[in-house]
Amino acid sequence: MNQLIQSLVDAISAGAVLGLAALAIGLVFGVIRLANFATGEIITAAAYSLILTWDLGWYISIPISIIVAVLISLLMELAVFSRMRNHGPATLLIASFGLSFLLQRVYELIFGNNVRTAPIASGLAQSVDIGGIRVQMLSVTTIVLAAVLLIALQLFLTKTSLGLQLKAAAADFKTARLVGIPAGRVIGLSFALSGILAAAVAFVLTVQSGAVGPSFGVRITILALVGAVIGGIDKISGSLAGGFLVGFATSMLASWLPQEMTNFKDAFVFVLVIAVLLFKPSGLLIKGRGVVRT
Amino acid sequence: MSTADTRQGLHVENLEVAYNGVPAVRGISFEVNAGEAIGLIGPNGAGKSSTLLAIMGATPRTGVVTVHGHDISGLAPEKVVRTGLALVPEGRHVFTELSVMDNLRLGAVARRDKSTYKSALEHVLDLFPILRDFGHRHAGLLSGGQQQQLAIGRALMSDPDILMLDEPSLGLSPTAVDTVFEALDVVRKAGKAVLIVEQRAEFTIAFSDRTYVLHDGVITLSLKPEDADNVEVLTEAYFG
Ligand SMILES: Nc1ncnc2c1ncn2[C@@H]1O[C@H](COP(=O)(O)OP(=O)(O)O)[C@@H](O)[C@H]1O
Ligand SMILES: [Mg+2]
Repeated sequence: MNQLIQSLVDAISAGAVLGLAALAIGLVFGVIRLANFATGEIITAAAYSLILTWDLGWYISIPISIIVAVLISLLMELAVFSRMRNHGPATLLIASFGLSFLLQRVYELIFGNNVRTAPIASGLAQSVDIGGIRVQMLSVTTIVLAAVLLIALQLFLTKTSLGLQLKAAAADFKTARLVGIPAGRVIGLSFALSGILAAAVAFVLTVQSGAVGPSFGVRITILALVGAVIGGIDKISGSLAGGFLVGFATSMLASWLPQEMTNFKDAFVFVLVIAVLLFKPSGLLIKGRGVVRT
Repeated sequence: MSTADTRQGLHVENLEVAYNGVPAVRGISFEVNAGEAIGLIGPNGAGKSSTLLAIMGATPRTGVVTVHGHDISGLAPEKVVRTGLALVPEGRHVFTELSVMDNLRLGAVARRDKSTYKSALEHVLDLFPILRDFGHRHAGLLSGGQQQQLAIGRALMSDPDILMLDEPSLGLSPTAVDTVFEALDVVRKAGKAVLIVEQRAEFTIAFSDRTYVLHDGVITLSLKPEDADNVEVLTEAYFG
């Protein structure tokens, strides 16, 4: 019983992280049909920032990592994606692959191939006793962090004019522009929010691992993309739900698969994904929409 | 060199639109002045929607389009709206997952005078009382006619001088069509210019101060309201 609850809490936390990562991808996709694989390198940049500046205190290090993530995200849009507005989702995805590999090499050049380490928020690595059940402090923190971010995002999207503009653009970019919503404004906003979410993901992952290397963000991004696609990447809530599901399933498999099979947990998740795509492809396909880009 | 263009309203000169080299609009010219309702009719594929989208800067074009004498060539749609032009797109395209009120709020993003937002909203809600009743409902839950009212209301929230509508009667019940055109009459009488694209010829000709017939990307006729009863002219309008 105790073990079940522990694994459930861990799985919810893993789902929360992956949900945030998938949301980072889904927010941008909704507006410009870009499934940004290089979101992983935004996460990596935020992780390097945390690890390299942790000495200065968390209250400096965390803001730095958020700022770095937002700037890199906006820079990607300005330097690369804004020049590719007339291309379809497939081309944009491939371009983001290229950008991802390029940035990994850049990180390697700057920081070397070896991992950099720092004990990020080591206090969270302990477990706590809640009503007689021992749970990871980090899992609880992750769940709270994700909940706070999601509530804040939801309030932003529904209660502010800028948030409504983003929501409208994500639903129907062409009409949003005809109504007078500036394309540059909502695109920039989606990349900035994506950066903030990536920084949150980086925080949780660096607390877990205490280390960062050039390809730090790749695995979670693959899983997040998969999650976003099964959930329905063209809807913000779809990405979030799909990401959560994949994270939750991966974590549960890690807890309950026999020892000798845990290395294959990702493989099991992908089998699950293939099954979902086979049996319910209709609700999961991306609706192709013409997007006016000038 | 050139003297300042002091004309009011919308002026379209030699507008051309092509998709991958295939012409859809072949050099049409017309004007819409304040307080006028102008019809643009023609069969499916004649180039009506292309004309409106090209004016809005939403599809590439050549030719000159001026609003109150200012050339709006090269402006993105969101900039064009800020010159005083608004389009109610074909198929309405309200934001279905947002509330009626939020749809109207978004329409006001492009207002040039934000201080009059409240009175503009009241004006729209008086014009379409149903939107007041269903203010908090998701737009996707409205009927087709109600969505059309919302789409027009949303466009009016940007406070346009020229309102363009792409087939506003499409898929609506006769009573819903009446509601829409009664509202358009109010808009026209308030001194705004209205450009209505329609397939329903007779109705549009009777309503509009002037109606152009578009065939294969070319304006072939210009009709007066009286022509609505003239069978010969109508046949000509339909079949070229
Ligand atoms: N986005 C597009 N790409 C390619 N061809 C188009 C596009 N939009 C319209 N067309 C073509 O241009 C012509 C005019 O279309 P349209 O302006 O939609 O006519 P209407 O609104 O009068 O029915 C048609 O032949 C149509 O097939
Ligand atoms: Mg049309």
